[in-house]
Amino acid sequence: MAEDFNTESMLDMYLFENGQLLEQLQETVLEQKDADCFDEDSINEIFRTMHTIKGSSGIMMFDNITAVSHKLEDVFFYLRESHPDNVPHVELVEHVLEVEDFISSEMEKIRNGDPVDGDASNIIADLDKFLNMIKNGGTEETAAAENVHEEPKHFYIAPVATSASRFYKIFIHFFPETEMANVHAYKTVYALKEIAEDILYSPEDILTDEKSGETIIKEGFRILLQAQCTEQEVRDMIGVGYDIEKVEVYECDANQFLLGFDFGDQSAPVSAAPEPPKIDLGDTAAEPEANKAETETKKPEEPKITPGDFVIQSKEPGKQKKLAKDKPKGEKASFISVNVSKMDQLMDLIGELVISESVVLQSSDLKVPGLNLDNFNKAAAQLASISTDLQNVIMSMRMVPLTNTFQKMNRIVFDVSRKLGKDIEFVMVGETTEVDKNIIEHISDPLMHLVRNAVDHGIETNEERVQSGKPDKGKVTLSARTEAGKVWISVEDNGKGLERDKILAKARKQGILEDNKPDAAYSDKEVYQFITLPGFSTNEQVTEYSGRGVGMDVVVQNIQAIGGALEIESNPGYGSIMSLKIPLTLAIIDGIVMEVGTSSFVMETGVIKQFIRVKEEMMIHEPNGDEFVMIRGDCFPVIRLGRWYGLEEYQESVEDGVMLILEVEDRKICLLVDKLVGEQEIVVKPIPSYIKKVRGLSGCTQLGDGSIALILDAPGLVE
Amino acid sequence: MDETNRMLEQADGSEGLSRDTQEGKYMTFKSGPEYFGLEIKYVQQIIQFQTITKIPETEDYIKGLINLRGRIIPVVDVRTRFKQGACEYNEKTCILVINVKSTTVGLIVEQIAEVAEIKKENILPPPSLGRAEKAHHKYVYGIGKVGNTVKLLLDPEKLLYDDDPADMDPAKKGEEE
Repeated sequence: MAEDFNTESMLDMYLFENGQLLEQLQETVLEQKDADCFDEDSINEIFRTMHTIKGSSGIMMFDNITAVSHKLEDVFFYLRESHPDNVPHVELVEHVLEVEDFISSEMEKIRNGDPVDGDASNIIADLDKFLNMIKNGGTEETAAAENVHEEPKHFYIAPVATSASRFYKIFIHFFPETEMANVHAYKTVYALKEIAEDILYSPEDILTDEKSGETIIKEGFRILLQAQCTEQEVRDMIGVGYDIEKVEVYECDANQFLLGFDFGDQSAPVSAAPEPPKIDLGDTAAEPEANKAETETKKPEEPKITPGDFVIQSKEPGKQKKLAKDKPKGEKASFISVNVSKMDQLMDLIGELVISESVVLQSSDLKVPGLNLDNFNKAAAQLASISTDLQNVIMSMRMVPLTNTFQKMNRIVFDVSRKLGKDIEFVMVGETTEVDKNIIEHISDPLMHLVRNAVDHGIETNEERVQSGKPDKGKVTLSARTEAGKVWISVEDNGKGLERDKILAKARKQGILEDNKPDAAYSDKEVYQFITLPGFSTNEQVTEYSGRGVGMDVVVQNIQAIGGALEIESNPGYGSIMSLKIPLTLAIIDGIVMEVGTSSFVMETGVIKQFIRVKEEMMIHEPNGDEFVMIRGDCFPVIRLGRWYGLEEYQESVEDGVMLILEVEDRKICLLVDKLVGEQEIVVKPIPSYIKKVRGLSGCTQLGDGSIALILDAPGLVE
Repeated sequence: MDETNRMLEQADGSEGLSRDTQEGKYMTFKSGPEYFGLEIKYVQQIIQFQTITKIPETEDYIKGLINLRGRIIPVVDVRTRFKQGACEYNEKTCILVINVKSTTVGLIVEQIAEVAEIKKENILPPPSLGRAEKAHHKYVYGIGKVGNTVKLLLDPEKLLYDDDPADMDPAKKGEEE
């Protein structure tokens, strides 16, 4: 590319935007993989995504990506236009994912600076076959549709025209002696793209065709521009350089704009009348094209094209237009990646800031009698609220929901189950559980292993399932939750479960078992742990996905590296559950902050069923000191937190305190505390290991004012 | 306080300074009637006394937790540890943050004295038995002479982890974690 603008940043932009698009695409596709067909919105979305990728890849000259995305765009164009009702949906999903994979891998090459050499011909051939199939099987034989996009330079874009948009015809004359007028012209176009909602220019092949320079000098360079700016601004954008002889800018209305260039207009068709869908033809007509006729016959049939749609001949959609179109994806695009160590530093600094703030605000200098502190107090309150917000933000910043990781697993289940011919339902529970970014990076691979294992080994083949009389669909459940101060991520399948005997036999063979210890002496848990040993695989056959004897041990290593553990439960014949227990060190929980005496405590919101004030007469005192409380006919054991921990200055009377009814695994107890402070998000930190484990405490946290609260461990209290 | 920190900085120096400059330097502080010394390499920083969050059901000398620049560290009261009896915390009370084998602990000391240089030849082994041994003597590995005064040199590991034989195991366990 010979442009004198920065291709580097364009490339970054290209990779970033397309990466986002592909991610979004995969999400959309997977969301609907189990439906009978894509709904209209998704079809449009996939179509548009492919269209955008095709366009930008074309500009960047990544021909294979352009070709593949073009082909898929054709398929979706057909779907969108003709509504064929016998599309094999799963096959279509596979095709889309295949294309997505191909583009992703090519983009990875681009990112690494490798040559972009992936061979797309297979995929294209497959897509062709698929397209022909749905066409021939389709009720209406509309073979023409394919042709619409034969000419790759034709783009089908739906710009969002607003009433504020204005339309200009621009005519630029270059001095006859200008060298490479085409490049100068492109410079102008490039500048205008900044403001353009839509831009169209002629001659259009200024970058690829050097001869266009001559044409430009001879006939001038013509631009149609849709933008929200004044004529003067447009002129300023173009500027008058030493090479530009004259710039003419005419404002026109939308209809005229859509009509195309009326100067030197060869054959502006009369059909380019008020109705927007037809107007697209007006544009193509500016340059006679073979496929015009097909387009024409096709277009008017589709009522769902939004007004303002038209085919323009531009290499790249204008920037602003793109923003408008991608609005729903805006959320996605606003991520940046930050070095975690910087985040840690920031977190520490904010912690310090909060402390020094309280030092300043409570300074003894302020206690001098007779000071007028009104303004000071106002400013101080402002400061306090800002620093609290700041702290909340930084604390939540490191937390990322597991959604993306879980989505990836969705894809794996889909791929593997398709290849193995197993019918598998994939269920995600609690994917919004937030986990520290660090942890997400570490659990992704182990989780992938577990999910693959579940699909590959765990779930039986369809036939086996029928034989053993199980409901015919296999089910893999991926769930996440925080409990007992840990994050639990479980992969559960309803397959055949682990075979104790087989594992034991294998362990015996490998010499893992002690010779004189009978099989029965090993507990199920111990036996299941054997499969996590290196080189241990009970699967006789090595499949594409698993069974090479590596895997489980790597999983365990990875999990241990972040201080977690793998728990295996299995119910022979009914499936198994692999749970990753990840330390809470970095986890965030919603907690209720409460006070007892001078101490603050936090209890995870989830386990608290109710707050209640009780009267003395509701209490039941056992002679041995145990206490119970009757609440609406139910009797709960009571723990007085102050007495339990021997704290100072706590409320003795139950009537002055608040009862919390906690529920852990169907057991309920009441906890008496002095008062509730509020609910907030808590970043859990471990109690320093120097201090021995205290029953009922699972960690500690820093509150907004810099003070420390202890986190109560509900299961520990219940026990 | 600032002065102490400056002294500490001078002694501890920037990263560039070699170990040698730290060699033979001791952070000395007063606890009860006696002065103690701790090798400067263990000392991370000195901070003012701040609010301590109590932790229930721990040893009496573990006073609780403090928030040190976002890190939560346990604090140990040296007086209580030495069984010198509790004392009121006042503006002279400091927290000496030490780092022993990657465990960071704050030591509550009555008063920071100075950074003293004690040459090897001026360090004597602790007085042998005979008299009734004072509680703190088991954490002392030597006696350093500075001018006319003596400082009891502390073994920080023993200070943190050594305990009455009965409590030995849990303490050790804490160390392993």
